Amino acid sequence: MSRLELSRVSAFYGDAQALFDIDLVVEPGEIVAIIGSNGAGKTTVLRTISGLVRPREGSLQYDGRDLASTHPWSVVSHGIAHVPEGRRLFRDMSVQENLMMGAYHRNNAADGKVDLDRVYTLFPRLAERRDQLAGTMSGGEQQMAAIGRALMARPRLLLLDEPSLGLAPKIIETVFKTIREINSEGVGIVLVEQSAQLALETAQRAYLMENGRIVKTGSASDLMNDDAVREAYLGL
Amino acid sequence: MFSMPLPLFAEQIINGIVLGSMYALVASGLTLIWGTMRMLNFAHGEFYMLGGYFFFLLISSLGLPPALAVPLAISLVFLIGLAVQRLAVHPLLGRPQWEFSTLVATLGVSIFLQNAALHIWGERFKTVPYFINGTIDIVGMRLSYQRLLILAVAVVAMLAMWYLLRRTRFGMALRATAMDRDAAMLYGVNVYRVFTITFGIAAALAGLAATMLASINSISPWMGAPLMLKGFVVVVLGGLGSFPGAIVGGIIIGIVETLGVITWSSQWREVISFTVLILILWFRPWGLFGVKES
Repeated sequence: MSRLELSRVSAFYGDAQALFDIDLVVEPGEIVAIIGSNGAGKTTVLRTISGLVRPREGSLQYDGRDLASTHPWSVVSHGIAHVPEGRRLFRDMSVQENLMMGAYHRNNAADGKVDLDRVYTLFPRLAERRDQLAGTMSGGEQQMAAIGRALMARPRLLLLDEPSLGLAPKIIETVFKTIREINSEGVGIVLVEQSAQLALETAQRAYLMENGRIVKTGSASDLMNDDAVREAYLGL
Repeated sequence: MFSMPLPLFAEQIINGIVLGSMYALVASGLTLIWGTMRMLNFAHGEFYMLGGYFFFLLISSLGLPPALAVPLAISLVFLIGLAVQRLAVHPLLGRPQWEFSTLVATLGVSIFLQNAALHIWGERFKTVPYFINGTIDIVGMRLSYQRLLILAVAVVAMLAMWYLLRRTRFGMALRATAMDRDAAMLYGVNVYRVFTITFGIAAALAGLAATMLASINSISPWMGAPLMLKGFVVVVLGGLGSFPGAIVGGIIIGIVETLGVITWSSQWREVISFTVLILILWFRPWGLFGVKES
């Protein structure tokens, strides 16, 4: 089944090494959180999985396929959808066009329409705003559109980068409720979050990163009860 | 200018729009390339030049009618555009300082193509006859069929571009790439293919402008440079990367130049267009349709 496995992955930005020997596994249908402070390399792990960053060493397998040699634009058609940090919507396209871009790789307009209805059911707010330019919406609406665009790709694994960033607590609650709903349909999720509390409450397992390395891993509750994690990341 | 009789004034406005529509074709290619790839193409004038020569050869050597020679000439320029992108630009993309190296590479292509044209076709200026002769009188204005035809072709070309960008799958991919290259890649767009095809389309638009102007201006190895310069003025005026900006900017420059040349003299042509550019940038540094960088 669709298992993601990174083993001993290292990656660079130019000459600067960003990731050191990353070992990470996501089982099908699992929610895995990656926590850590700013600049720890969490985003780079996601960018490596989706092909925007090439690993220099190590192996990167999904569903028995070698992702490290897959073009970045082909990754999505293997069932991995990435909601990047800062949403990265196509700002001068309408909400509906953004959603349809999520289905671009399938090149099947009829399927696209079916999925569009599903996304509008999940996010009724997006249905109201379908003709609005994506760049003019509020942060919460943009996050919903970004997740909606990813769902349009029919992923089996969803990469979410800082979905709570810049959102009001009320909106965060809605977004995370949706994330659990999506997961309950069998979609695996890699959740990168600065808010460790939120991440550990949502995930089953978690990885803690520092300076480009994974320094701790375990079940979410283990990390929640870890003294070092509590002190440094949960402020307890 | 204001002592001019009204029909003559209107006639000049229309001539300005005709000229401006050709500037718009050249500029829209530059702006497409900037918008999708964030690079400047200094070989753009040579795509225009090749369009002129291909058209001339198809008409004079093969004796083809313009209705066949135009699409054939722009198809050839399209292929040249693809080749230039793949050979000279693509290998540099994503490497350190690619913004600068692609600029130098296209400058090299420009020099190469100019000298190749000089070597192959010589320095004698070539001309092609008007597609249709004659003029039409409308409410006191005298307009040549040739110029009206040029205007019609420009309108059709712009509508076709609008359709391509807004209503096709490739247009979606192009716009997505222009707005956010990484996000486009994440959702399945092969942005490098988009870059190559965009280059071809931009070249073809310049080639189209050349076939239209071939009977009014003459064809020479150096015909591209002034047009490219004008194209850059239009693109900066309209806002880098903005397609509507290229059209409106082109028409503004076309009208102002035509009126200026009538009022003063043709030596002032460049002075006039650059004055307009500087004035507009004074108030809107990001151009008429550009987006203010935050």
